[in-house]
Amino acid sequence: METREDAAVPLSFELNGETVAVRAAPAARLLDVLRGPCGRTGTKEGCGEGECGACSVLVDGRVVNACLYAALDVEGCRVTTIEGLHDGAGGPSALQRAFVTLGGTQCGFCTPGMIVAAEALLAANPDPAADDIRGALRGNLCRCTGYVQIVEAVRSAAAARRAGADAARAAAGAPS
Amino acid sequence: MSTETTVCTIGAYHRPATLDDALRILRDVPGARPVAGGTDLLVHVRDGREGAPPALVSLRRVPELCGVTIEDGAVTIGALTTMSDIVADAELARLLPAVHVAAADFGGVQIRNAATIGGNLVNASPCANLPPALLVHGASVVLRALGGVRTVDLRDFIVGPGETCLRDGEVLAAVTIPRPLGGLRSTFRRTVRVAMDMALVSVAAAVAMDGGTIGAVRVAAGAVAPTPRRLAEVEELLRGAVPDEGLLRRAGELAAAGVAPISDVRASESYRRHMTGVHVRRALAELTAGGVDGDA
Repeated sequence: METREDAAVPLSFELNGETVAVRAAPAARLLDVLRGPCGRTGTKEGCGEGECGACSVLVDGRVVNACLYAALDVEGCRVTTIEGLHDGAGGPSALQRAFVTLGGTQCGFCTPGMIVAAEALLAANPDPAADDIRGALRGNLCRCTGYVQIVEAVRSAAAARRAGADAARAAAGAPS
Repeated sequence: MSTETTVCTIGAYHRPATLDDALRILRDVPGARPVAGGTDLLVHVRDGREGAPPALVSLRRVPELCGVTIEDGAVTIGALTTMSDIVADAELARLLPAVHVAAADFGGVQIRNAATIGGNLVNASPCANLPPALLVHGASVVLRALGGVRTVDLRDFIVGPGETCLRDGEVLAAVTIPRPLGGLRSTFRRTVRVAMDMALVSVAAAVAMDGGTIGAVRVAAGAVAPTPRRLAEVEELLRGAVPDEGLLRRAGELAAAGVAPISDVRASESYRRHMTGVHVRRALAELTAGGVDGDA
């Protein structure tokens, strides 16, 4: 029987805009590689079975559960985690600001996955109705907020994004 | 929550670029298993429900297995086509409404972006969404092996819970659906308790009216028998009949009597049986008159 180290093979992919090269075991999940060798612990492990969405990441722009994705399948892919979502200058994105200001986050464990899934929604649909938001976040469970503030935060962020980056900063209360 | 917790007894993870390469690995490595979206297999291997295979053969990089092609109304869906890809295909939605709805009402977007039609069929779960929808459209599966291909009616493909007629070294390559009859309409409905739930009961139906009577008709149910199945006795009752309220009620009663559900943690046998009848009646109401039942 081969050991994990023997079986690990090189893996290279683009993580939040930077090329990374690591080694991954055959059974490694994308989640393991992100949190382990890549040191990006923003992506959380909740259920480990694809039910809760805490580990949501984007692979080539599509939101998937990193706990169900074989690490070796992202060879050459573009992977975006919560660490890669910002306003372009390293500050929080419109979604992140809206989650903070509108109470879309409490304990915070589901929040990275929520924001990644919401990012995928807004990329495809800049002006989602509340039902669109609930549908897009159906795979993301939150045990704190009751979801009302989350939906409101996504709606607010969508409006801010549509209005442009300056308006988004104003919506979050920062000086423009 | 790190690599340290990974149960790693899988010897190798292969990523072939062609189906023939995948088939050769499956031949050369005894016990190797193909994996598509991985949404079930990887979880089952990790939690010990399934033994770890000596090798996994990822089919994700095999282009010939991906995508929907439609030729003269006949639809071919590659085995690695995801639920999201199925949902996004407008022509498929027009030709095969039941399949569109079954793929759309499937987990959350994260799952739909990973789960594949081939995986959904090969897993052969009694409560899988796609089989009933595909059954009412007369689907077949294309099974490829090294040096051979065979086409099997979907009714004969799933033979028991988690069991298919796939042979060693064979891979499900595609699902084919013949061109629907003119005027054929179809629908899919199911009962779930909460978001992300598996179906407690699912029903698909397809009807082509012939004037005021039912011409062609197919009805199928999932999660109410060891395998998803067509309800032949219901179809027989309906064929050539006028779809009035009494007929649809009798169809629902016949469907409820004809299925063989189990009681488990998710629902009782009697509830599943009852809801099979309700869904059959409402699906037929939707497809024949557009609202005999008031809830179509």
